[in-house]
Amino acid sequence: MGRWRDDYDDWGYYEPSHPIRVQGGIKTKKEHGQIGETWWSKRWIAVLESFNMGTRLTRGRSYARQGQVISIDVEPGMVQAKVQGSQPKPYKVEIRFKTLSDQDWENVTEAMASQAIFAAKLLAGEMPKNIEEAFGAVKLSLFPTALKELETSCSCPDWANPCKHIAAVYYLLAERFDEDPFLIFKLRGRTKEQIIEVLREKRAATLPAESASPSTSESSTGAENSALLEERLDTFWQAGEALDTFAVKPGVPEIDKAILKRLGNAPFAIGNQNIATLLSKAYSVIEAAALQKGEK
Amino acid sequence: MIVLHTIWDNTKLHIWAESSELAATAASSRRTKQHTRQHPFALAREALLEPVGQLSGSLLVKSTGSGTLSIRIPSTSKGPLPSPELIIEKENEDLSTAGFEQWNILTLTLDAHTALDFLLSLPNDLPHGIAFGSSLRFWSEVAKFSFELITRQCFVPTMQETRQNGAIVYRAAWEVVLAGDDEERMHLLSTVMPSVCLAFLPPGEKKTSVPHESVLNFLNAVTDAFVRESLSSITLIPARRNRTTRNVPLPEQWLQALSSDDPKLTASAEDLKSFSTGMRSWLTQIRPVDQDAPFRTCFRLDAPSEDEHSSDWHINFLLQANDDRSLLVPSERVWKERSSTLTFLKRKFENPQERLLADLGKATRLFPAIEESLKTARPMELSLNTEQAYAFLRESAPLLEQSGFGVLVPPWWSKRTARLGVKLKVKPKAGAQESSGLLGLKGIVAYDWTIAVGDTTLTISEFEKLVNLKVPLIQVRGQWVELRPEEIEAAIAFFKKKQGNGNMALGEALRIGLGQEASEVGLPVMDIEGEGWIKDLLAKLTEGVKLSTIETPPTFHGKLRPYQVKGVSWLAFLKQFGFGACLADDMGLGKTIELITLLLHDRAGQNGNSERGPALLICPMSIVGNWHKELTRFAPSLRVMIHHGHERLAGEAFAEEAKRHDVVITTYSLALRDKEHLAPIDWEYVVVDEAQNIKNEAAKQTQAIKKLNARYKIALTGTPVENRLSELWSIMEFLNPGYLGSATEFRKKFAIPIERYREKDRAETLKRLIQPFVLRRLKTDKAIIADLPEKMEMKVFCNLTQEQASLYEAVVKEMLEQIEESEGIQRRGLVLSTLLKLKQICNHPAQFVADGSSLPDRSGKLARLQEMLEEVLAAGDKALIFTQFAEMGTLLRHYLQETLGCEVLFLHGGIPKKQRDMMIQRFQQERRGPPIFILSLKAGGVGLNLTAANHVFHFDRWWNPAVENQATDRAFRIGQKRNVQVHKFLCVGTLEERIDMMIEKKKGLAESIVGSGENWLTEMSTDELKELFALSREAVGE
Repeated sequence: MGRWRDDYDDWGYYEPSHPIRVQGGIKTKKEHGQIGETWWSKRWIAVLESFNMGTRLTRGRSYARQGQVISIDVEPGMVQAKVQGSQPKPYKVEIRFKTLSDQDWENVTEAMASQAIFAAKLLAGEMPKNIEEAFGAVKLSLFPTALKELETSCSCPDWANPCKHIAAVYYLLAERFDEDPFLIFKLRGRTKEQIIEVLREKRAATLPAESASPSTSESSTGAENSALLEERLDTFWQAGEALDTFAVKPGVPEIDKAILKRLGNAPFAIGNQNIATLLSKAYSVIEAAALQKGEK
Repeated sequence: MIVLHTIWDNTKLHIWAESSELAATAASSRRTKQHTRQHPFALAREALLEPVGQLSGSLLVKSTGSGTLSIRIPSTSKGPLPSPELIIEKENEDLSTAGFEQWNILTLTLDAHTALDFLLSLPNDLPHGIAFGSSLRFWSEVAKFSFELITRQCFVPTMQETRQNGAIVYRAAWEVVLAGDDEERMHLLSTVMPSVCLAFLPPGEKKTSVPHESVLNFLNAVTDAFVRESLSSITLIPARRNRTTRNVPLPEQWLQALSSDDPKLTASAEDLKSFSTGMRSWLTQIRPVDQDAPFRTCFRLDAPSEDEHSSDWHINFLLQANDDRSLLVPSERVWKERSSTLTFLKRKFENPQERLLADLGKATRLFPAIEESLKTARPMELSLNTEQAYAFLRESAPLLEQSGFGVLVPPWWSKRTARLGVKLKVKPKAGAQESSGLLGLKGIVAYDWTIAVGDTTLTISEFEKLVNLKVPLIQVRGQWVELRPEEIEAAIAFFKKKQGNGNMALGEALRIGLGQEASEVGLPVMDIEGEGWIKDLLAKLTEGVKLSTIETPPTFHGKLRPYQVKGVSWLAFLKQFGFGACLADDMGLGKTIELITLLLHDRAGQNGNSERGPALLICPMSIVGNWHKELTRFAPSLRVMIHHGHERLAGEAFAEEAKRHDVVITTYSLALRDKEHLAPIDWEYVVVDEAQNIKNEAAKQTQAIKKLNARYKIALTGTPVENRLSELWSIMEFLNPGYLGSATEFRKKFAIPIERYREKDRAETLKRLIQPFVLRRLKTDKAIIADLPEKMEMKVFCNLTQEQASLYEAVVKEMLEQIEESEGIQRRGLVLSTLLKLKQICNHPAQFVADGSSLPDRSGKLARLQEMLEEVLAAGDKALIFTQFAEMGTLLRHYLQETLGCEVLFLHGGIPKKQRDMMIQRFQQERRGPPIFILSLKAGGVGLNLTAANHVFHFDRWWNPAVENQATDRAFRIGQKRNVQVHKFLCVGTLEERIDMMIEKKKGLAESIVGSGENWLTEMSTDELKELFALSREAVGE
């Protein structure tokens, strides 16, 4: 009965499964190649791949690529997702994380407070590269290192765990981590803000909470300051005097591709090339085109 | 004339224009009530194509679209008010009822890309009859700004979300990145935007934009358009097999959309949202650190200190107050603070630790070495080795600054001397004559390049030693110097190949030394140094070392003012070396007599040596007579020949005759027409007066003049050559060929950067380059003012055109025929009417014939007036023009407005008092008000106070010094703060000149004789009249 069997494909001698296609499902950003752009999401995938799941892993990856995952919700300590398999009703997937105890967190943040880089990077919106060191120092791990640290369940009939549905969600989580590295903290039981808050206290300064994270609102420079032009008859046609002396200096930039250098690598790639690398060609071409135009 | 305006409606640029012709007809037919609300003197769309094509070429015209706009502009009950650039008679406007009203205009539209092309291609010199409104000038500056941002790579790819029919549409787009100075410049542009730019409703909006939004929108739109266009021919996506067109992943779609015409991304809403979120969070990295915060993190780099025996560089972390950049809080102080507020020098800093930490975290991406210091709990500083310090200076420091951090680097870093450079040493060529005689800029000198570091010259072995240290920053005699790898390579290659010495033209040496260009060595030129007589020459040419003063030759009949003696000495000095000289003193300072003195000085030194040929003086037809008069007056010993008119000599005869004279005067047009007669002669000098006449390099006239054989060349001009670069180039090319490079090189290197972009550095370089060969003194210079009288009266001798001469002779002939048979009152009437007619002819044939015919090229006086007024305007001065004929005033007003492109006032007897007062007020008080005021002698000769003018022109004469002086005193009176120049126009060889001579002679005579006007002339005998009226040969220009 294929209706059942296509979910047992690990057994190898069944027809490949044909899950019901999903409109508007969540897909990986890339059709091919590695999933996960940043070191921390790669770190996450590496953990998954170390579990020796065999073909369920590859099946899970293609599920993720096809968009079979309908939704993903991240709660503290837990991820809930719906994955469309071959049955009409989507399967429920849950990945529970072992959250750290308060004492564990206390130890970790204590370790983090010894080096300014942790607070510095977190405040700048980045995952500190040596974050695992801080966890390791107190014999803990930020990323799950073993299966037993994760409690996974799926409503599918496959008795293997993790199944391909769980794997699919796992892959997509990697991309979520690309966008928001601090999800991993949430899954371990603390938000980024909570950690920053603790670090602040540890610096022995009793500072009130405040948001030092970069604002995500649109640039508002000057828009409010410059009021509507006054409708004045006598100056209606007049430009300000400074217009006559406004000077420009077209020329090569002080630092080539400074914008890309300031941006750093993007959380997106095509093949194995980061988008930032691919954009660098554009900057050279445009600058050359502009300089040439300037000589006309 | 038309005035062009532009409006940016957030997607495209609208071009529209006001027309003075339409305004004139609209004024006469105002009764037609405006049912349509169509702007009555805005040009129709088709009519716009011509001027736009004239400015930017027909290619651009092809890509224009058409549009309509409804604009709200100042209007009265009679219709819309014109922009101030539109020169029309508007004295009668009653402004008290003015208010804002809505008018429809037809426009040409340009998309963002074409708009950028159009605005950047606008010429510096506007074609005749076209003026730019403030809105066009404004958008053209914004376009230049956006162009600069593009060349400097200040743009970033983004995701834009817009709502369309309830759904979110995602687009890939390019936007400008403004940081630091650029943001301030953008703000400055927003504040100078004229209101007219926003006098419309953008499509789909309910209120007008604000300047800031409008400018930003424009910058983003043209940047996006330009970038897309540049990328259209390349692909950013790596080649891959099996590419499917369906389900292209978003990153790929996005790259594709950034370089194509279609910016839209298509995917599921969920995917798009997730992609957009990821993209946005990535892009926040370039948002500068919070600038509204009262303080920011600052990095200070210190060189290794001399007393410590360590070669470590240090970066200190500090907090810097944003409103007082000199207020720096050491990080040590920050870490010690236990409360959330740090108080330092009475300043409060909130949450300083968070700020410092967040900033350091962000900065590590730009300068990874910082990370090391963050491994401590309380980072305060960072030690660097020299390579790291260099990397910080070269790359990280600017990146940190762009990201909004404070960066303090040692002061030597930004100084030019902290670099490796070369010095050029120029010396006389071995075996060459001590006195260079006629060297010229083409003369060959020997040169030596040496490597220099700051002021220190290095030998090759010293240099190699430094290079072998293999560090990018070295200390040479206590001073830090940057050694760029590419420059070291250039220097090594150069020395291998050339040994750094050889021969070059003196002009080239000067150009390299003064222009301080990157030399052929590939290193910056630090200095030029001379040896022997060249040292002396360089000192005098470039360092302002005083020239030896020449003695005024006894043959000069007059007295030179001190600055004039200097001018002649300068001309004589340049001549000694065979350099062409451009004397560009302000009008009225006496360029003419300086040149005359030079010629006399030359003859004096000649000691009967008659080897030398004559001087050829080329000037506009209108001043041939003036030159002749001045030469005769100040240098009667010089033999002057005028080469013009129908009976002028040609070929061998001309050559023979020219040799018998010291000076040959001819005109620009004859320099071309008679080039085969002028070319064979070895001229001692070729002097071009009003040298702007050779500004057009391509003109045959210019070519012919440049080909003439001359030992010395001199250009005279009263216009500020340094502001008119194509003119400057052409004049310099005549004087010292090749010195400023080819026309194309010059345009690229100087004309475009200076004229289009107002680049100060280039302007400075050019100034240094031309300074040895151009002498320009202003009448406002302190040293000059002291030498000048408060009032200078000058006679301006003009020539008649052939047409004027024919009319003149016909009138004289007719009168002489009649006068024999008349007597008494009839005779008197005849004399007076003839006098009137002749004066009219001298003014302009069109005044005499009164047929409304065209004015250009028909009157010597008018041509001269126009030339002189151009100089007046170029100097920013104002002028009064007196005429006794109201009809001449009207003609002048229209002609001058059209040709000079500025508003001209005209006061005559028919102007009511109220309006007269308004004119006077505008002339006296408006900074950018009308600069020229024509007055009829009767209406404006007395009572008025017009001290804003410092030039007074008497276009025709009253023959009564008292009346004329009274008129002159409108400007020359209490309240006048400048020297006043009075120019009295006379036609040479006509009754005007003769009457003037009679008055001069009779100055001592009782006022009663000449005082009552012209009646005394009627008492003359027929023979006397014949002599008075007769036209002498010299009168005619050509």
